[in-house]
Amino acid sequence: MKKEVVAMLLAGGQGSRLYALTSQVAKPAVPFGGKYRIIDFPLSNCVNSGIDTVGVLTQYRPLELNSYIGSGQPWDLDRSDGGVHILPPYMREGEKGTWYKGTANAIYQNIGFLDLYDPDYVVILSGDHIYKMDYSDMVAQHKKTEAACTISVLEVTLEEAKRFGIMNANEDGQVYEFEEKPQHPKSTLASMGIYVFTWSKLRQYLIDDEADPNSSNDFGKNIIPNMLAAGEKLMTYRFSGYWKDVGTINSLWDANMDMLAPHSGIDLYDSSWPIYARSPIKPPHITGPNAQISHSLVTGGCEVDGAVENSVLFHSVVVEEGADVQYSILMPGAVVKKGAVVSYAIVAENAVVGEEATVGAPPNEDPDWGIAVVASGVTIGDKAVIKPSAMIREDVKGGEQA
Amino acid sequence: MNDLHGIIFAYRSDANLGELTRPRNTCSLPFGGRYRLIDFMLSNYVNAGITDVGIIVHQSYQSLLDHVGSGKDWDLSRRHGGLRILPPFGYAERGGEYRGSMDALAGVADYLDNIRQDYVILAWGDMAVNLPVSEVLQQHIDTGADVTMVCTPTLKGAPRFSEYVEVDGDGRVTDLSVHPVAADKTLESLEVYVLSKKLLLDMVDYCAAHDIINFSRGVLQPRLKTLKLMSYVHQGYVARFQSVSGYFERSMDLLDPVVRDDLFNPARPIRTKDRSSPSTYYGPDAKSLHSLVADGCLIEGEVENSIISRHVVIEKGAKVSNCVLMQGTVVKSGASLSYVITDKDVTVNQDRMLMGHLTYPLAIAKGSVV
Repeated sequence: MKKEVVAMLLAGGQGSRLYALTSQVAKPAVPFGGKYRIIDFPLSNCVNSGIDTVGVLTQYRPLELNSYIGSGQPWDLDRSDGGVHILPPYMREGEKGTWYKGTANAIYQNIGFLDLYDPDYVVILSGDHIYKMDYSDMVAQHKKTEAACTISVLEVTLEEAKRFGIMNANEDGQVYEFEEKPQHPKSTLASMGIYVFTWSKLRQYLIDDEADPNSSNDFGKNIIPNMLAAGEKLMTYRFSGYWKDVGTINSLWDANMDMLAPHSGIDLYDSSWPIYARSPIKPPHITGPNAQISHSLVTGGCEVDGAVENSVLFHSVVVEEGADVQYSILMPGAVVKKGAVVSYAIVAENAVVGEEATVGAPPNEDPDWGIAVVASGVTIGDKAVIKPSAMIREDVKGGEQA
Repeated sequence: MNDLHGIIFAYRSDANLGELTRPRNTCSLPFGGRYRLIDFMLSNYVNAGITDVGIIVHQSYQSLLDHVGSGKDWDLSRRHGGLRILPPFGYAERGGEYRGSMDALAGVADYLDNIRQDYVILAWGDMAVNLPVSEVLQQHIDTGADVTMVCTPTLKGAPRFSEYVEVDGDGRVTDLSVHPVAADKTLESLEVYVLSKKLLLDMVDYCAAHDIINFSRGVLQPRLKTLKLMSYVHQGYVARFQSVSGYFERSMDLLDPVVRDDLFNPARPIRTKDRSSPSTYYGPDAKSLHSLVADGCLIEGEVENSIISRHVVIEKGAKVSNCVLMQGTVVKSGASLSYVITDKDVTVNQDRMLMGHLTYPLAIAKGSVV
């Protein structure tokens, strides 16, 4: 059946800058904010914006992401018409079929999917941003201005602008120039990687782009510049509010810490724009007689009898008596045993920090200081010491340093 | 296909629970921070692979309907079978409440006729227990029993609301006493029964024809010699709710890890309505000791020895000890609560002091502002 708007969520990226955290799962499936995974934010935004048809383009390590999304029930996206669809690359008759070569190619390969719904507008989203946004407002502006493409932009500092795709726009918001990571930015309007396209226009640009052997088949590098060069109307859509790219260890840690300010940044308790998640069945968390918890998030199934400060605890985390957790992120099922100290660290799913072990340290003079990461399922032996910035992918024996 | 059909009796409101059951029937009484009592039996059924469940209701079941919805949180929203709420559709002309469980079954006789399974389990929905229902069925089949009834060796109920059984060496029930003055036997019946659909339908027909309203007194007691009535002894934790102080004590039981491990056995998880709550946030000056705390709370004050449900707010400077706070309770700064049960959406204003006692906890009615 025809749909006015279909959203396409690019979730195929490896997220290589999250290192050990994405060795087993795609970036959008990385746990975030105590109860969520990164993909819950764009998916919930879609539902809250009234978009009921979403294609999720997967490629890298899709199994966990696929099972997480399932029928789409937690987001009310289990629809008899539309709903959420996982779209992996596929083989075709007569030709070989390929992996998704770039963001534009991923959509190109799914033209057939979009044609099923014959949408007027397509919203392109990525699976690595934390934000709340009403896409219907952006689509409304797109319609009103009769643009071919509307690009959501955020005001950044001049220094930050060097790391983003920058939109140079007239006063009325029409884009006249696009610069990818400019050395000398002319404006501070950064593209958030969220686009609304008039589907009939985009469809043709995707076909033309695919025919160009020199193209890298990317929205930022090819489609947007080609549309500009052809004189299409590209408009900016100004977004203000919390938005964070969580593509690196530091930004992921930062964004989790932002969630500790419940009424600033992004408000997870605001029932007018809920963020939905598929939650495992867990009883309430329990605090023991020695627990000291402050300025932290704690989730169902946790058992806390140690000290937890400025930290985010996902479900089923155990912090034993005498353990001390500071400025850290403990993902589902992580265990911190008696007397262990975890500081400025990310401990991934089901990892175990042994008794009196040390993981990470507060910021210091060392130029190499950074967040320590313990990958999922890893065991850190008793009294072992994990240095700041370490990326631990394999078990560390008791008493050793890494 | 699983060969067991689940029936849950959810039509009684226990008057002894006072304020707590005024707005709801006992099955939808909140318990354990995020559950309603019916979640336990419903989850027990689902964990045994039961796909078809009928819930027999009669009055004040709006909060129950609201809670179970289509049954999707228990995976009971299905194309065939699934969850059915059974109001007294065949009973209107007689009026009044169901007088007993056989009366209730007669009220839904048309539904019983259409059961697809060979066996039926009957239970009340107002207990907290993690019961391995598939083992009960297996034992029922293995022993060739006519009726298997689940019993507990740890007596929990008040005698005048409870039933007790005596068994022989094979576990066959030889005597059954209903609502005695004092517990007179060592096994208490949980009033959970497994029997064949055929026998159930025969009993329902017979009872309707003879105006027999009560299962234990009217059916089991007279037929002790002719029916093979076997006991299944459940060794795990059982909580029954027959008074406000009992409710309080059973809530506090959950602070015991042995009880929690049994009731929340991860192999047989207790499911409940998913409310998409975020994690609980503890503020910089928060304190939380020896407490069970559900998701979605904002805790900036102090909590000790308490059960805190979803979406509770405890402001800075507030003190909560030995309390059960139900969903949406707000305790404002400077307020102090001890041995208090607050029902849903209660607000305790600034600097109020409320104090009950272990033997007489103070229950505050739903939606009250103190």
